[in-house]
Amino acid sequence: MGCYMFVREIDKRIRILFLVLFIPFVLIILRVIYIQVFQYKKLNSYAKDLWSRDLELEADRGKILDRNGIVLADNLTTTSLVLIPNQIKDKKEVTEELSKILNISFEDMKKHVYKKTSIERVHPEGRRLSYDVAEKIQKLEFEGVYLVKEAKRYYPYHDLLSHTLGYVGIDNQGLSGLELQYDSYLTGKNGAIQYFSDAHGNRLKMSDVYIAPTSGMNINLTVDIHIQQSLEREMDNIVDMFHPDMALALVVNPKTGEILGMSSTPDFDPNEYQKYDSATLSRNYPIWASYEPGSTFKVVTMASAIEEKVVDIFKDRFYDAGKVNVDGSILKCWKAGGHGDQTFLEVLQNSCNPGFVRLGQLLGKEKLFSYIHQFGFGEKTGVDLNGEGQGIVFPLNRVGNVELATSAFGQGPSVTPIQQVMAVSAVVNGGYLYRPYIVKSVSDHTNSVVKEYSKVMRRRVISQQTSAIMRIALEHVVAKGGGKSAYIEGYRVGGKTGTAQKSENGVYLVNNYIMSFMAVVPSNDPEAVLYLAIDNPKNTAMLSSYTTTPIARRILLDIIDALKISKQKGEVDKDLEWNDKVTYEVPNVIGKSIDEAKKELIHFKVVTEGDGNIVFEQSPRGGEKIEDGSIVRLFLK
Amino acid sequence: MKMDKILLFTVIVLAIFGLFMIYSSSSIWADYKFHDSFHYVKYQGVFFLLGLFIMIIVSKIPYRFYYQFSNLILFFSFLLLVLVLIPGIGSVRNGSRSWFGIGSFGIQPSEAAKISLIIFTSKYLSFSGDYIKKFWKGIVPVLCIVLIFFGLIMLQPDLGTGMILVISILSILFIAGADLRFFIGGGIFGIIGVIALIVIAPYRMKRITSFMNPWNDALGTGFQMIQSLYAIGPGGLLGNGYLNSVQKHFYLPEPQTDFIFSIIAEEFGVMGAIFIVSLFVLLFYRGVMIANHTNDLFSKYLSFGILFQIIFQAIMNLMVVVGLIPITG
Repeated sequence: MGCYMFVREIDKRIRILFLVLFIPFVLIILRVIYIQVFQYKKLNSYAKDLWSRDLELEADRGKILDRNGIVLADNLTTTSLVLIPNQIKDKKEVTEELSKILNISFEDMKKHVYKKTSIERVHPEGRRLSYDVAEKIQKLEFEGVYLVKEAKRYYPYHDLLSHTLGYVGIDNQGLSGLELQYDSYLTGKNGAIQYFSDAHGNRLKMSDVYIAPTSGMNINLTVDIHIQQSLEREMDNIVDMFHPDMALALVVNPKTGEILGMSSTPDFDPNEYQKYDSATLSRNYPIWASYEPGSTFKVVTMASAIEEKVVDIFKDRFYDAGKVNVDGSILKCWKAGGHGDQTFLEVLQNSCNPGFVRLGQLLGKEKLFSYIHQFGFGEKTGVDLNGEGQGIVFPLNRVGNVELATSAFGQGPSVTPIQQVMAVSAVVNGGYLYRPYIVKSVSDHTNSVVKEYSKVMRRRVISQQTSAIMRIALEHVVAKGGGKSAYIEGYRVGGKTGTAQKSENGVYLVNNYIMSFMAVVPSNDPEAVLYLAIDNPKNTAMLSSYTTTPIARRILLDIIDALKISKQKGEVDKDLEWNDKVTYEVPNVIGKSIDEAKKELIHFKVVTEGDGNIVFEQSPRGGEKIEDGSIVRLFLK
Repeated sequence: MKMDKILLFTVIVLAIFGLFMIYSSSSIWADYKFHDSFHYVKYQGVFFLLGLFIMIIVSKIPYRFYYQFSNLILFFSFLLLVLVLIPGIGSVRNGSRSWFGIGSFGIQPSEAAKISLIIFTSKYLSFSGDYIKKFWKGIVPVLCIVLIFFGLIMLQPDLGTGMILVISILSILFIAGADLRFFIGGGIFGIIGVIALIVIAPYRMKRITSFMNPWNDALGTGFQMIQSLYAIGPGGLLGNGYLNSVQKHFYLPEPQTDFIFSIIAEEFGVMGAIFIVSLFVLLFYRGVMIANHTNDLFSKYLSFGILFQIIFQAIMNLMVVVGLIPITG
């Protein structure tokens, strides 16, 4: 049976082949399991990417708020029309209806509806739709026609704090200022309506996925809007009154370095920043401008002299003949004929240049310039804003006797407003030089703080005692010296005026000054340092005392209000001028007899109410200062 | 005549399941192209009924008929293969001139060639007896004819069909008792050939590697593979459910033909895959039983050859769509 054996051999080979072909079948099943189990995650996410189309939902940009939580940079929510042309069934009808609602021509609308694209934003006609229009479109319930929310940056206070806030571009990206610096915090994470579509872009009947947008983080500033508004208002006044080349104001909390307000003119409205030139947009003068400070710098010289104990400002005297000769250069005092014999406290009150030349000489160039550097001049303060200037301080090897003398009264070094404010802050706060900052904290949309900034002390420059003396000295300037117009009854205000000559190419310009005023309130326990400068004011006397101080006073009043500074006792009384009303402190007469009371109230007009002989209440209360001849009401029983 | 009921049942289940899956996978394309989501399934239904009818008729024909006329059948299919290459007679589909188009129907002569070669080889081997042990007398004549047919099919060109044809005939040679050395030699020769081809044109290596990581050329050679994986993978073990394929929505080209297994795996998960594979294994098993149970060499070779050809073609297709082998040789 060879044939039989042969057949058996064939059958055996058939079975072998059957088994051989069984292997690929097993492999196929294993492979399917591998794909569906082990590659599931990867393939599913890849495939979802392929199938899904995102209708982006713009996240709200974080807000910028003042220290009281008032919104300075906000978002306006608008509705925009978005089309997915592939999903639109009857393109002609949709084009007709939409063009009617949007009030544009059929042809213009057609361009959008018939566009070969996956998602078409109807720009600009379909952006920022009014509620009525949006509702009409909604009602049509066309497939492929969507309304999406869009947010636009809005600055409700327009030019308020504009340089510092900066502005954003068309896609809400920060382009300048804090908007740019903190863009990564402010920018939210866009959400989306994710729908699934076939390869031709038609929507599939699978459930849409809504990915909520995450709002950006809020930036909380140290700025107080009331102070800021005061600065803005006075900037406007300054422009109206003096048509200056530039003006700026800066308010800082000297105990922390927090910037409470800063403003400069020319400024701009960030809502429509496109309308301004780049210089206007970019120059944040309070931190950028650099110029010779003038007399405000005398604060630094005097503080250094006191710290070095080269002078006792209350006892040591100086005779000012009106000019001083330094190495052949005649340095004049602003007052022709000079101030004559005076204490060094009066030298500061009178802003007497020869007196400061003496202080500079007493200190010597090494010490004076060492203090100038220690007070932070010639280097950036490190404020958390872009575009800070650095100023210029002579290198020591180039300081001769003349440079020493002029630097002592504020001519020569070039400094920025913020450097001056931080230096004066150190002078009055006990001697601590702080780094100024404007961002208090960053918080997320649930208002929980993500990042917090606090004061940074850079170094100690002078002692508590020197600082205390300087506070008294500065208060004297306001009460008795060049800062009189800033005097506020019942409050202790310190300050120093400055009139700096501007130079161009090393030559001082004629009749072109930067008038400035540096103020401290209250001077016994400083809570705010204000610096105000007006560059080349027109139509005014060339003395800062008349130009800047009345404006500074109005700002100081607003600062007092905003910071709720209470009246202070023990102020230096103001020297009277011819147009000043005389004021007297009202004595406390409660409990006294009417006759006794009338004797004590000799300066005032007494009005009594009620029957009786004993005063049980009075208005105003004892301790207040009121003008000569004012009414004091006494309540008798 | 005895009829294998299990075999018949398996074939009918496969065909009917196929109808359902053709509907599911093609309805979107059909609606898009012909505004009739039943377009393809209607055609398939007609062919299914036609197939049943032809099956009944053919089952009445004694297989001896094929034995008798095997040379004529072979010559006839040879003629068709030549004719289809002539422009105007053969029409081009998917880049190959491999069809006779009659209206919207089409006939592929290479399908006829496969069957007629199997008939011819079965007959040749059934009376060649011990020749099969001898390389020159037994194997070479068959190989020559096979190579002629392979050559004609490659002129269309249609590598897939050509390979199935060659391997089906080789399988018959194997069971008929050809010396194992022949297959070992052939295997070595094949490997050397593949290496030579790669050395001549290194891009072929890329083709081979691209099926392993189709993302290397996601829009080119890897495209279809990726689309197939996007169907199978996200379906998960349980599948999306009948009619719920996403990839059939224009992502997967021709989902009702080459990639229908991907859609099955997408809609029915691994159970769908096991179901299909089991049916094919059962089909093959029944075929092996038939071949084993007959003592007539011709019918043994014929029945095995035909089933082997069907099963091998199925394996090739499934292995391609799951990414076990490259899409085109």
